[in-house]
Amino acid sequence: MAGPLIPASTADGATAPEDRSGPARILPGAGRAAWLVARRLGMLALLLAAVFAAIEVLPGDAAQATSERGESAADVAVRRAALGLDRPVTERFRDWMSGLPTGDLGTTAHGQPVTTVLSGPFPNTLLLGSLALALSITGALALGSWATLRPGGRVDRAVAAASTAAFALPEFVVSVALLLVFSQWTGWLPAVTLTGPDGAPASWDMLVLPLLALAIPQIGWNTRIVRGAFADQADLPHVQAAILDGLPRHRILTHHMLPGALPAIAVSTATSAGMLVGGAVVVETLFNYPGIGAVLAGALTDRDTPLVAGVVAVTGAAISTLLLLADLIRDRILGTHR
Amino acid sequence: MGVTRRQLLWAGAGIGAAGALAACSSGPGGSKDTTDSAAASQQPRSGGTLRVGALGKAASVTRDPHGTQGNESDYLILSLVYDTLAAPGDKTNTAPRLAATWKPSEDLKTWRFTIAEGAKFHDGTPVTADDVVWSLKRLRGTPAGASRLPGIKPENITAEDAKTVVLVSDYANADLPLLTRLTTFVLKKDTKDDQIAGSPGTGPFKLEWFRDGNARLVRNDGWYGGKVLLDAIEVRIFESPQAMANALLGGQIDVASNVGAVAARTAETRKEIQILRRPDDMAMPIVMRTTDGPFADARVREALRLAVDREAMVKQALSGYGTVGNDILGTGDPVFAKDIPQRKRDLAKAKQLLAEAGFDTSKTYDLVTTEDIAGLAESATLFATQAREIDVKINVVKQDSKVFWDATWLKAPLYTTYWGTNDSVVFFASKTMVSESGQNEAGWREPTFDEAYRKAIGAADPAERTKALHQLQEIEFAKSGYLLWGMADGIDLAGAAVRDLPKLPGYGRVQLEKTWLAR
Repeated sequence: MAGPLIPASTADGATAPEDRSGPARILPGAGRAAWLVARRLGMLALLLAAVFAAIEVLPGDAAQATSERGESAADVAVRRAALGLDRPVTERFRDWMSGLPTGDLGTTAHGQPVTTVLSGPFPNTLLLGSLALALSITGALALGSWATLRPGGRVDRAVAAASTAAFALPEFVVSVALLLVFSQWTGWLPAVTLTGPDGAPASWDMLVLPLLALAIPQIGWNTRIVRGAFADQADLPHVQAAILDGLPRHRILTHHMLPGALPAIAVSTATSAGMLVGGAVVVETLFNYPGIGAVLAGALTDRDTPLVAGVVAVTGAAISTLLLLADLIRDRILGTHR
Repeated sequence: MGVTRRQLLWAGAGIGAAGALAACSSGPGGSKDTTDSAAASQQPRSGGTLRVGALGKAASVTRDPHGTQGNESDYLILSLVYDTLAAPGDKTNTAPRLAATWKPSEDLKTWRFTIAEGAKFHDGTPVTADDVVWSLKRLRGTPAGASRLPGIKPENITAEDAKTVVLVSDYANADLPLLTRLTTFVLKKDTKDDQIAGSPGTGPFKLEWFRDGNARLVRNDGWYGGKVLLDAIEVRIFESPQAMANALLGGQIDVASNVGAVAARTAETRKEIQILRRPDDMAMPIVMRTTDGPFADARVREALRLAVDREAMVKQALSGYGTVGNDILGTGDPVFAKDIPQRKRDLAKAKQLLAEAGFDTSKTYDLVTTEDIAGLAESATLFATQAREIDVKINVVKQDSKVFWDATWLKAPLYTTYWGTNDSVVFFASKTMVSESGQNEAGWREPTFDEAYRKAIGAADPAERTKALHQLQEIEFAKSGYLLWGMADGIDLAGAAVRDLPKLPGYGRVQLEKTWLAR
């Protein structure tokens, strides 16, 4: 791949004939990707602006929220100035954004660099989130396919009911149920996650319960999408033709239906990523998982704008990357003309 | 909901828990050796690693011993690594720590503190008066410094010789050593701000590692304070008391520190779990504004105090984990006036007082509260129901913590407050009741009270002082703006092997050097 890309930037048509089709094929795709990236970045910037604005409207500010009971109004004012909170929010936003390209996420209300505060929790959340995403998509594909292979049958109906129920369950209900069964009653799994000197979970089995608590509602959601996407495909002429040809059902599923269903599944995966982050705040608290959810909850009560924005920036970047991938998959399959 | 509320206590960091820090406490409480009968037969033994869970928020982690410690986990780690000059005691309010002795001048303004024999930092260098002076000045220079060391100007903190530190107060203060139990952590002189996190302390434990609010500490064999029993302590930060209780029940930790009544109820069915109650831990009085507004008439305040059903409040708002209060703050203090008769519910007299005062019973009065700590909002609701029986209509208003501390605290006619620890009588008098006090929650101005207070802190003779303090409490009982219906217990949960956990209220619980493991 590296080959065609390098001449692409310097391509003037004088390169070797076999390379000619390369740039021609890649450029529109690259341009499209660049546009998609720009759009995602723009949305992220808007989101961050909204974060600054939202914290501004909340009552109180970081200087006051992190003050001690004995501090006088004058002391709080001094701290307010030290934190730069006496400047207009637009100015603070501009300053904060200007540090972003260099990876500088500012300083928290407690005087720590935001990147330091996030350096332990963010990888942990990324680990838990990506495992949960992988589990939910695998589980959804398996359940969705199983149901599709028996349309209208008992399995199909059971999967439909179970997936709806799973999605309707809030994470904390799932968490409490898991805790009761696997920790309190059976003692098979640890109830909370403890961390070692490196800030990561001390053992793998501590990941299981938070992982399940996060993944189960998303398996429900994605199974509905997968099943729906397959159902749409089932009516298409080429699938009908394959059925009439008497091809094996699992082959029809993987070779005739899956490609068409993939864009919908990709989008639902990306949506799941967003919901996983939301669920993480609850699940991390219940299982004491050392992730970004706990940081976010605390940062909000402290009105710690740079820290909240930092959390949004890193999670937003991760989710944007996923959304971008989903967009590219859609483009690839449906073409750029939608 | 309990999760959120308890979280908010640490969320209120600056305000709530810092109040707790500022109110670092003591009392006559439990004596150290009265553990359960099974433990009594055993000799303390050394060794083992104690795993302690403590509440805290990942976003608020601080490494600075003089910073704003909203996280209990941080405070615990800091107080194991560093020493304060004095600590809460069980027989007296103030027990020696890094300062072995102290002595006032005749006029009670100048106090000389002598550093404990053999006190040295973890790197082996001896602690000098210069280190202490530098640390106290650094503490005094923080935004809350004036309230942490009230009446002591930075230039009045000096070293007399290598082992003697002199504090000069702006006014006579017989209780000055009380102030040094707070966050007077001693660091090496001239430690730079960016080196504070790993700087050597003088405490019973040395920091092995710290990460995101979690830490491992190992025994300091050279501690001047005596033999430390545990090999190591591992502190784990917990966002919610529920998760902490689950960790304890599952054997992942040995102690769930200050986990609260809800967790204690859960643990009651488990035989192997010890439920440790630290009495007089938290005050959550109702504040009635005395300066103006509907409660300015002392008879109205008395009526409300007579209307409350204290037993019911303790039983319901505190789940029974607490004791009935008598409207005097500082219940853990040895000088607490136990002889003042307990105020009891008397609806007839309350109604009569309201009538005499011409109280308008046709109106509805707002009682403002927050969900900062468990039981606080419940206590307000319960009180509103009880007040109906004397025809006082009370509407409970729950406010977001930030709004509450900004708009209601010190201002509203009727609100709930809380003090994270239950400190001495004189502490509350000086902080919240003397006319000029900065946190006069009820706006109380009572010349006779001020006079008694000045007499108490200016008295060198203990008998005279006790007399003045008693008089002060009588006035407080009769007229102040506080309705102190009860005191909440501090509640720790511990595994079966844990012995001799500290039993003092408030931050008395952080001294773990005498704790040991029977396994």
